Order: sequence, then C-alpha cells, then structure tokens
Amino acid sequence: MAPTTEPKQRSPSIVVQELTHEKIRFALLHTDTSVANALRRVIIAEVPTLAIDLVDVIENTSCLCDEFIAHRLGLIPLLSEKAVEMEFPYDYAGDDESVTDVHFELNTGICASAETVDVTSNDLVCYDPRVAPVNYHPGESIKGKGGAMEFEAQAAARGPDDGPDIPGVVIVKLRRGQQINMRCVARKGVGRDHAKWQPVATATYRFEPEITINEELMATLTEEEKMAFVESSPTALFRYDEATRRVVVDAPDQARSYGYDGECLKKAEELGKPGLVDIRAKEDAFHFTVESTGALRPEEIVVNALKVLERKMEVTRGELDILEREQDEQVAM
Amino acid sequence: MAEHPLADEDVTYRIGAVDRDDPRVGGASHRTFPIPPPNRGDDDDDDGFHGAVPECLRGPRDKLAAPVNTLEDKFELLPAFLKVRGLVRQHIDSFNYLINEEIRKIIRAKANERVTCDTDPSFYLRYTNIHVGKPCVEEDYIVEDITPQQCRLRDMTYAAPVTVDAEYTRGKEIVTRKTNEQGVGGITIGRIPLMLRSSRCVLTGKSEDELARLGECPLDPGGYFVVKGVEKVVLIQEQLSKNRIIIDVDAKGEIGASVTSSTHERKSKTNIVVKHGKLYLRHNTFVEDVPILVALKAMGTESDQEVVQLVGPDPAYANLLIPSLQECSALAIFTQQQALEYCGAKVRTQSRMGGYQYGRNRRNRVDEARDILAGVVLAHVPVVAYDFRGKCAYVAVMIRRILHAMIDRTQIDDKDYYGNKRLELAGQLLALLFEDCFKRLNADLKRQADAVLSKSNRATQFDIIKCIRQDTLSNGLEHAISSGNWTVKRFRMERKGVTQVLSRLSFISALGMMTRITSQFEKTRKVSGPRALQPSQWGMLCPSDTPEGESCGLVKNLALMTHVTTDDEEEPLRKLAFTLGTQPLSLICGAELHAPGGAIVFLNGSILGVHSAPDRFARDMRYLRRIGKVGEFVSVHTTQGGRLYIASDGGRVCRPLLIVADGEPLATREHLDELKAGRWGFNDFLKRGLVEYLDVNEENISYIALYENEITRDHTHLEIEPFTMLGVCAGIIPYPHHNQSPRNTYQCAMGKQAMGNIAFNQLNRMDTLMYLLVYPQKPIVKTKTIELIGYDRLGAGQNATVAVMSYSGYDIEDAIVMNKASLDRGFGRCIVLRKYATQVKKYSNRTMDRIVAPTESQAGPTGRHRLLDRDGIASVGTLINPGDVYVNKQSPSNTRDPLPNPHAMPDTFYRPTPQSYKGPQGESCVVDKVMLTMTDEGVFNVKCLVRHTRRPEVGDKFSSRHGQKGVIGTILPQRDFPFSERGITPDLIMNPHGFPSRMTVGKMLELVGGKAGAQDGRFHDGTAFAGDTAEDIGATLVNHGFSYNGKDLLHCGITGEPLVAYIFMGPVYYQKLKHMVLDKMHARARGPRVVLTRQPTEGRARDGGLRLGEMERDCLIGYGASALILERLMISSDQFEAQVCNKCGLLAYRHHGTGKDACAQCEDADVSALKLPYACKLLFQELQSMNICPRLTLSDA
Repeated sequence: MAPTTEPKQRSPSIVVQELTHEKIRFALLHTDTSVANALRRVIIAEVPTLAIDLVDVIENTSCLCDEFIAHRLGLIPLLSEKAVEMEFPYDYAGDDESVTDVHFELNTGICASAETVDVTSNDLVCYDPRVAPVNYHPGESIKGKGGAMEFEAQAAARGPDDGPDIPGVVIVKLRRGQQINMRCVARKGVGRDHAKWQPVATATYRFEPEITINEELMATLTEEEKMAFVESSPTALFRYDEATRRVVVDAPDQARSYGYDGECLKKAEELGKPGLVDIRAKEDAFHFTVESTGALRPEEIVVNALKVLERKMEVTRGELDILEREQDEQVAM
Repeated sequence: MAEHPLADEDVTYRIGAVDRDDPRVGGASHRTFPIPPPNRGDDDDDDGFHGAVPECLRGPRDKLAAPVNTLEDKFELLPAFLKVRGLVRQHIDSFNYLINEEIRKIIRAKANERVTCDTDPSFYLRYTNIHVGKPCVEEDYIVEDITPQQCRLRDMTYAAPVTVDAEYTRGKEIVTRKTNEQGVGGITIGRIPLMLRSSRCVLTGKSEDELARLGECPLDPGGYFVVKGVEKVVLIQEQLSKNRIIIDVDAKGEIGASVTSSTHERKSKTNIVVKHGKLYLRHNTFVEDVPILVALKAMGTESDQEVVQLVGPDPAYANLLIPSLQECSALAIFTQQQALEYCGAKVRTQSRMGGYQYGRNRRNRVDEARDILAGVVLAHVPVVAYDFRGKCAYVAVMIRRILHAMIDRTQIDDKDYYGNKRLELAGQLLALLFEDCFKRLNADLKRQADAVLSKSNRATQFDIIKCIRQDTLSNGLEHAISSGNWTVKRFRMERKGVTQVLSRLSFISALGMMTRITSQFEKTRKVSGPRALQPSQWGMLCPSDTPEGESCGLVKNLALMTHVTTDDEEEPLRKLAFTLGTQPLSLICGAELHAPGGAIVFLNGSILGVHSAPDRFARDMRYLRRIGKVGEFVSVHTTQGGRLYIASDGGRVCRPLLIVADGEPLATREHLDELKAGRWGFNDFLKRGLVEYLDVNEENISYIALYENEITRDHTHLEIEPFTMLGVCAGIIPYPHHNQSPRNTYQCAMGKQAMGNIAFNQLNRMDTLMYLLVYPQKPIVKTKTIELIGYDRLGAGQNATVAVMSYSGYDIEDAIVMNKASLDRGFGRCIVLRKYATQVKKYSNRTMDRIVAPTESQAGPTGRHRLLDRDGIASVGTLINPGDVYVNKQSPSNTRDPLPNPHAMPDTFYRPTPQSYKGPQGESCVVDKVMLTMTDEGVFNVKCLVRHTRRPEVGDKFSSRHGQKGVIGTILPQRDFPFSERGITPDLIMNPHGFPSRMTVGKMLELVGGKAGAQDGRFHDGTAFAGDTAEDIGATLVNHGFSYNGKDLLHCGITGEPLVAYIFMGPVYYQKLKHMVLDKMHARARGPRVVLTRQPTEGRARDGGLRLGEMERDCLIGYGASALILERLMISSDQFEAQVCNKCGLLAYRHHGTGKDACAQCEDADVSALKLPYACKLLFQELQSMNICPRLTLSDA
C-alpha cells in the first residue's frame, strides 16, 4: 500500500558560520528536530575514526600498570583521514592487515635522566605517514624512525595544528631506570563501541530563538522599568536604545547568546506585564557547534556524518522497498 | 625569670574572667599582653620571653591604641597545630611516655626492682635503669636496622630491644652492667614492638624525601604497630575515671558514692551506700556492708563529734548522720579496737586480693582488718604507718557528698559526663602488659636462682644474666598486640579485641581508625545514656562520626584538635600547691576542712588540703601554666561545693583554645603574621600564653566565644576554628552544616569504604586486599580539613558532572544512570589487588617444601601451568585465570621420620602441592608482583599480587559525600544522554527524589559550588560553618553565563527536543565504594553439597545454593503450589531413596552385592522403597542413637 499523501517536501540547508581547524559552527535550516538530532547522534557515535585498539606490552617498568597505559594510549586522538579508506576489523575477512591495522611503537629505552621524564604522544613512532597522534611533533630521538619523515613531508597538506609548543598527550612519567616498550595497533572504529573513537569533544545544537517585543505593552513601561527589564536577562538579549528610548533586541548573534533561561519573562511578570516579550524557539533552525578532538577536521566530521546518515537512509529505503514489494505481492495474490 | 612571678606584684597578667574585682587586673594601659611587663624593656635577654613583644607593639603609643584587627587568620593556627602534633599525637605521646618514662617507673617500683633468692640471702639482682633501643633485628647473629616497610613486606615485627642496667651478685663479687652512650652494654631482656613515628622509630623527624627513601608514605600518620607484618592499632579505650568520687543512684533509688582506686599494685572498688537512711561501707573484701561509723572508728576517728566535724558542721548534714551514729552506738562500738574486731569478723576469708596477702604470717583478724583498711579500701589514698587521717578525711568527703546529694538531687554526678571519662591509649595498655611480663620474668629468675643456689656444690658459678629469657617479654607483648587479647592476671583483666588490623581500604579509613574510641560498655544493654551525644563532648569528640547499629554511640571518634593527655609528675604539683597556700591536711582539724569560702584541694583525686581562697589559687595555677612553669596539660577547676581539683593524670581529653582577657583575645594579628611568615609555630603561642589546652572539666567552667565578634568582657576563651569540632571523617563533607545530621553520619561510615589512593607507597605494598582508583581526583569543593589531613593528595573519588533528573526509569530507588562514554574515559575505573601467599615450610625431619619448574609436559602454552617461569613461580605480567597454578610447590611425603639425607631426596619423595588461583570466574586478572622473602624466623614466603582492573558495571555502588549512596541502574550511551546547549553531557544522572526526604542541602551547595569552581578554575571552599556562600557562587555562575541557581536547559538525547524543565546540573564529588557486583553476584544450578546432610552448601564462597526459606515456603503453601515445594525442598535438595521395613517400620537397607532388600531388625524381605530427604533419614538415625524409635507406617501412595 503506497502512501497516498507525500509529506511536504523540504530542502534543508547548511550555513557555515565559523570554521577553525578544531571547531565548526553552522546553522542547519529548514528541517526538523529529528534530523538535527540524528545528525548529532551520528557525529557522536558513528563517524569512524582511528584509535589504538591493541597493545602488546614488551617491557613496562613504569609506575603505571599495563592496562592503565593501554587505556591511556587508546584515548589519544589519532589523525584519522585514512579511516575512510580502511575497513572495520570485524567486517573484514581478508588477510591484508594493512586494510585494518596501523602500527605504532612506543619504546622509550631505559630512562637515564635524573629528573622525571614525561612520555607523551610525541614519543609514539608511527609507521603510516598519514596516521599520527593529533598535534604530533616527534622528538629528536625518534625523528628518523618509522614514518616520521614522510609524516613531516605531508604536514603542509594536513593543514594547521596547535604548533610544536603545545606538548603532546602525557602517557606516563618515567623515573631513572624505568622503561616502556610497547607495540600498538590502531584500528578503525566508531564512538558507539568506545568513546575513544568519538571524533568530537562536543557536538551540540541549539534552537534559534524568535524574539518579538510587544511594543504596545513596552510603551507602558517607565524608563527605569525598561532599564530594569533590559538588565534582567543574564545574557545580553535586549538593548535600551538611548536615542529612540525603546527597548530593542540587541545582539544580531542572539541565536547563540540566549540560554532560554526565562529570566526576562519572569521580570516581565514581576513588572506586571506578562506577554511583554514573546520568546519561542524556531522549530526549523538549529545552530550546531561541533568541536573536534583533532582526529578529523570538523567539516570532515560533519560531511562524514551526513554520509553515514545517507547510507542509513539508503538502507532504510531499501528495506522499505522490499517491504512494499512483499505487500504488493500479497495483495496480488 | 629572676624572681618568682607571684612575688612581683607589678607583673600584670590576665587569667580568664574568674575574678573581675581583683585589683591586680590592671587598666587599659596594660592592654592585652600577658606576660612580660612593658617596663622591662627589650634588653632583658634572660627572662626567657624575649621576642614575645613584637616590634609593632614597641612602637609609638598611638599605633598601639589603634583598634586591634580581627583575627581572620586564626585558622592558620590549625595547620601549625597539626604540624607539631600530627593527626595521631595522642597515640604517639602515650607510647613515648611509656618507653621514656613509665617503663623506668615500672622497673624502679618497689615490687619489681629487686630479684632476691630465698636460699641465698646474699644474692640479689637490682635494676637501676632501662633503655629502649632503636628498631633492629638479629639475623644469623648479625644485628641489622629495620624499617617499618621492611617489616610489612617480610612479615616481621617492628620492635626494638629493651636493655636494663643492673647490679647483681655473681658468686662473691658484685657486677654492675650499664648501658653506655651508644646504647650497648646493658642486659637485653626482650624486644618491645615500636609504634611508628614514636620517639624511637626511624621515621621520626624525617623529611618527605627521607621518608620516601625508607619506603614510607609522608602522609601516613603513624601511631600503629607492625607485628608479624600486620599493621595493628590499639584502639582508644574509654572508661570511667579512676580515683574519683562518683555520686550516683543505684537501682533502688538510693544514693551512693563509688571510687575505683587504681594504683600500680592494686585495683579495687569502694562504695559508700545508703540503706534505710544509714551509711555503709561496701567493699568486696568484706562479706557484708560495714556501718560507716564503724569503719571510721576502725580507722582511728573514735569520737562522734570528730566525725560530724569532718563531714561538716552544717546541722543539715549532722541530722542526716544521726541514724548512722545511732547504729554504731547500738552495736556498742566505741573504740578503734572494737571497731577493728567488728571489721575483722566481716573480712572475707581466703580473700587474695590480686595475689597479695597482707601480713605474710597468719595474723589475727584485727591486724588483717587494719591492713585491709589501710591498703585495700580506697587503695589510692596512701596510709603511712597506719596514720589514717587522710583516709578518714577522704571518707568524710565522700559522706558529705552523699549527704549533699540527698538534700539536693542535682549534686548527683552524671556518669556520662565526659569529664568523668578517661581514655586509655596504647602506652597505658602496654604498660600493664609490660609490667606483667616483667614480673613474670623476675619470678622466673627467682625460681631459677632458688633452684640453682640451693645446691651446695655447683660446677660453674651461677650467673643470673644467663638465665634471662628474652622471649617472655618479646612474645608476651607481640602476642598480645597481634591477637588483641589483653590478659593481666594481677588486675584480673581479660579484654578481647583491644587491637585491630589497621584498615587500609582508603586513606581516610586508616586515619579514621586512629581516632576511634571504643567504650567498655556492653553493646547489648539497651540504655541510651552512654550512647547519647553528651554536651560535654563538644569540641572533643566528633558529633557525626559514629557507626550505626549496635555500637552506635559507643564507638566514637576524636575531633580534629583533640589531644589526650599523658601522666604528669604529681610531686612538683603537690609542692606547688602547698607553696601557693594550700594548708596540708595534717595541720587542720575537721571543722576547718569545710570552712566557708575555702575549698578542699584535690590533686588527681586525692585530698591535698584546704585553701582559703580557691579562686585566687586557681588563677595562680593557670598563670603558672600559661607561662610554662607547670605542664600545659595540667588542669585546674573549682566546683560549687567548695572543691578545687587539679588534674595531671593521663587520659583526659583536651583541646587548645585562644585565651581571651578583657574582651579581647590575647593573640593579635601581629602574632598571626609571625605565624604566617613561618617564624612562629604553634608552640610559640603555647609558650607565650596566647593559647592553652583545656580539658573537659576546665572547659566546663570557661566561657568560650565561638566567634570573635561575640566576645564580651566575661569571656575567657575563643575557639580557634568552629569546624574543628568535627573529626577527620566528617571533615571531608562539604557544607555539613546544611545537611540533615544522620546524613553526615552515613557519610562518615561510607568515606571509609571509598576507593582511591591509600598511600604514596601503595604500589610497594603487599596487602591482602587493596582497592585503588585509576584516576582519583581532588574534590572541586574542598574543606579546610581536606587540606589539613592531605585528602587532596590522596583522594578517594572523582568529580562527576551530575544531572538531577529522572531519565530512563532506571534511576528509581537511588539508582543512578551512568554515561557509557564517561566509563570509557576512565570514570570509576578501579584496580583490585589481592595477595596470594604461600610458605615454604621446613619440617621436623629437616626436609622442606620445594618449588620446581613445571615439567615439559606441563609447560606448554595452554594448561594450568602455563604461567610458571623456570623458577616455578608465575611470571609477572601474565594473565591468570581461575585454576591456574601460580606457585608450583611440592611437599615431602614424609615429614616426621628422620631421614638419612633429608636435603637430597629423590623426586618421587615429593608430592605436588601446587598453589592454584581462585578468582572471579570468567575474568582474567594479571600477576602484578611476585615477592620472595624470608621472615626473621627464617620462614620462606612467596607472595603473589594479582591485579584486576575493573570498569564500573550495573550494580556497582557509588556515593556522594552526603550519605547519598546508590547503585548503577543502567549504563546509557552518550548519544542517548541529555545534553546542554554548550555540549555538556552529564557523567551520571541522579533521581531528584533523593533530595526531599533526605534534606541534603549540602549536596546542592556542593553542586553549584563545584560548577562555579569548574568555571572559575579554582577550588571552592565548603568548610563547615563557613565556606563560600550561595550568593557568591550564584554571582560566579552568572558571570560565566549560567543561571545563578545552577540549572541548565537540557535537550533529550533521544528525541532531540528540549526538556520541559530546567535541570540542576554540575560537578559533585563521587566516591566509588568497595561493594562491587563482581564480588557478590552468585548463582548456581547444581553444585557442592554438605557431607552430613547432603543438602546444598551455603554461601557464595562455597558456591552454595539459594535458600528457599520459611517465608518463601509460606508463599508457596498459600498459593497452593505443592509440587513446587516438593521439588524445591526435596528433589532439588537432598532426595534420598531409603528402604523401610513394612513390618517394624524402621529403616532397612539394600544389600549391595545381591541387590536384595532386607531389614536388619526383622530379617525380613518385606521392604518398601521410598524417597525422603536425606536430612530426614539422618534425623531418624540420630533419634535411634538416642534410644528413640521412629517408625514409619506406610500406606499405598
């Protein structure tokens, strides 16, 4: 049985408002909450990235135990551009390890310094020039090893990072005589399985507020009352215009600033003028903020998420088609 | 000081507000400075108080006249106090007193000093001195120093040798042995376990670095013993004061006075009771009560008038005495001789008080009665040469107090009043034990001397030193501490559970144990009095920290600044009291004893004399204490009835307070600046008389201001900080003053179960069980106590972002919903370390166990021997599963009979006794550490530490710091969690129903405080009775764009819609408690059975069945599911097929060989088989064995 009425066709769009190498802000327009939330959920849980998944401990005389360090290694964000080309280890049945695994090595040698030495993500030796810890600036000792050289050659292509002054992720601290020697395998995965595969630190959206001032009612307020009303909102929402002596909606960027705290509505009631302003959330405009862990560029995360979403839709549509066909057949019989 | 301070009338000093009219309390020109009079100038170098007047006070007058600043930094006194005192000073002081002083007194006591011999009168051994050495151990005849950490790891006792100096005869010569400066030369009589951080301990006075090098945690407070590798704490014992008169009411409502006398030789309890308006002396050396007048006459007070005068000339008292006087004259007892004869007739025969027989030869009853009255009744009042004057006065005072209480019932003492309590600490308890062991040692020596010297011709010269057996002392002490059984025969003392293993579950639990006080009171008695919080406990004991249940209120904890005194010399105080105008008892007659305006002066419970101006006397004593001429813990207090008590005995609780005079604290801002600059310590305040210790009795008559702005001219003291009234455990709670009080009590109990860091040396420890948190944090909302005790360095919890809302329904009944991503990132992750140890034993036939490498067939990569290294012990870092062998031990098959070559026996001689690992099924743990070690007794130990890292799972228990515990109800993925517009998702969700009934407002404040702190990037303060205010927190939140009330707009993670309510969300410090599902979950289908009844075993440890109990059975009966009952109670439990003889009804049997049934009774084959529970069959047989014949009459089913 085919649906008789087509839902109203929408043409969602995305307007990028801000884009840095670690953060994207964009507006998702002309769609509804379910789509916005689906996008958010996919960003958190289903955009594949790489993370260290297997650790072979060869030597560990540090103060932290093996699984402690393994856990810490897993949580280091890795540059995951390559993730798209790779296979999930649980999906892949072939023998070619290179499709699923990326190898790392962490071998500090015996610590000879009298001071405590930090072992950071910069001490990881990567064997794939495209996969490295975020903000990777290998130290002198491992410059020549593995794919470090190629890594540096490709640095320009990868875009900006936080620079070498930002220290790497501390894995463990070593004292004189201690040593760590581990082999790690990074694999492709999704945030659903473990938080280490989440590409984002935060992925969130907010509804765009629609603020209308009841000018008639506002006109009944005294100047002090107007001032008090403007000040009642903890975020700069309104402005008292000295010239026109009117209260106007302040920030052009109001969408971001208003926290739906309802303070000004309370104030209005306090002043005896309920309905002085009307604030309601627009139902078809969403302001997204996506902060990357560094594993993927923020825009990539969004694009990948949309791709995942698209694939999901295709699967659903395919299933629906089959269902429809079956029903048709039944009707035919 | 050149002259006596009291002789110099110009010296201005203030003491309290005792006497405002005293002309010597000067005007404003003297301001508040206590000691050196300003006119002395600063060139007076030798007065001992140089520097007491800071520069600022020597400046121009107008500066001096400026208003004194408030003492907002008086909190700084606390760290200074804790720096000199540490958290467990009471234990350490008590032990130091034992090893430095008391031990010397014991050996010099008359009864112990000499060992003589009955057979050779010229023989003697006299102890002159005693010395406790430094901790060491003798191994293979080499003496080596030891550290506590070594002892813990090697299962040794941290002990030091005790050496004595002695003088003794060897043949005809007199030998003297003396310890020289290096501590050698003395005679070693044994080893005494040393308390950690006591004066002889290697850890004392070490810096953090040095402690680290010794393998010790710098935050560890010490105060416990290490005995056989186990850390043992001697719990503080609370009991009623000794040698004090307590007036109380007995069950019949009659008033009585009781005194528990305690001296070195003897303990005894003396009562004076009222029966039918007459007074009697009751003591268990007398078979019945002795009329008090008879007793007094027996003690030499023959005249009735004198008795009345001693009691007090007031006619009201005299009237009450009349019945007693009449009774005495009715008995026709008028002289001492008559009275003694009367008493002698009442003496309990064969009474052997503490094994001491007064009068060595059998003497007549009069002498016996006199001796008992002199030495046993009120034993603590000395009677020299049968001069009973002091004792009569003491009895008179007891009578007077009874009579007073009869007139005025308010004079009855409150037994629960904390001034009447004394705390017994490790030092005192060990002193009892030491003396006991020492006496045994001496008795032993005497016996040997008697035996040897009685022989006339000896081969060698008798040397008593060679007879000293060191293990009498060493084993006696070691065994008592390790078992906790305190048995002192001469006091008939038999106490159990005096020591406990130091709980190392968390840092707090260890600290909490060191401050714990147990009461001697029976737990089973249902009286509320001793359990209730007594007002006099204010500031001394923590009002929150007590367990729930049977020992509620009986187990208490010390507050943060409480100190427990040790004994102080009495003699100088006695002299001082006389110097200050106390008239000795011997110089005054009975009437003067109770002269109006004067007071009887008591020193530690015994009467010294009478002082005519007690207030002045008290003030003088206090003055001398403040300038340091008298011990700082000596307390003086007066009572209404004209009594003045000086106390210098040990076991009193006391605490420091700022002294106030003329409405201003003596300590000024300048002093505190000195303190802050690090030039002064706490002792400087004490020395300069700015701060003093008050015990409960003295605190009770002081007027103490809580805050500085409350001080009036009547105040005598000022609290240092109000939050010090809480103890260590309650000090962790932020904003406890906003919580309902039982919540704080719950948290005190739960803080001890929280996982976290145990100590800085936690990874070098080999404890049986250790719980560690992987990522412990400092709480964002701190308290001052947290900083003081170092909880911020050894935390036991994590700051979790909590949303207070209902979500998913898996959060009802205190369950919490966890964010899976938070768990992925390490929230609540913990490490459980468990020790598995084995001994390599040596046997009497000189064979011993051995550890061997696995054979080739065993060695493979699979199988239970796969972990083993070439040395036969599991290799470190390998995964270990239940059933795996971790030590491949073999034991000799013959351990008794002597063998020709015990060290080279063939392999067949040994049978395998492998140690296999029993851990949680299905979990793979890791061998963390392996240690091979030998104890000082030469026992070879193999210890394996097995590590298991766990992430939280559904059912694990968590709690905040406000007595709000809950288990994980479900774990949801992050995408399903609510999120804020800033992208924050909570770590856990807590149901708001937890709040209304529990009223833990402190938790809400912690939440908003934590939220503000996280935004501010600083730790917020939630100290009790202070802390950041809600207004400040709200302002901070608003500054950072949050709502002032801590609520946020959240969106549902599942639908994406905004939630219709604002959600209260922010960081709260959460503790993971040790109760984890993994250790508790249990199920069984079939499994082991008990041999006797053939029913399933009980308990998880034995893989037991789950009992279908009486109530469950009732349900099934009610429901009518009879088949299910049959199945549960018999078929699935202990079904048994039995044969029953149809003729006699007794149990028959089935012959195994032939398979035929037969009855042993009737020899008949008419036997039926039936099924019955094995327990039933067992019952029948047991009845038969008792000559009861149970017969089964069967009918067709």
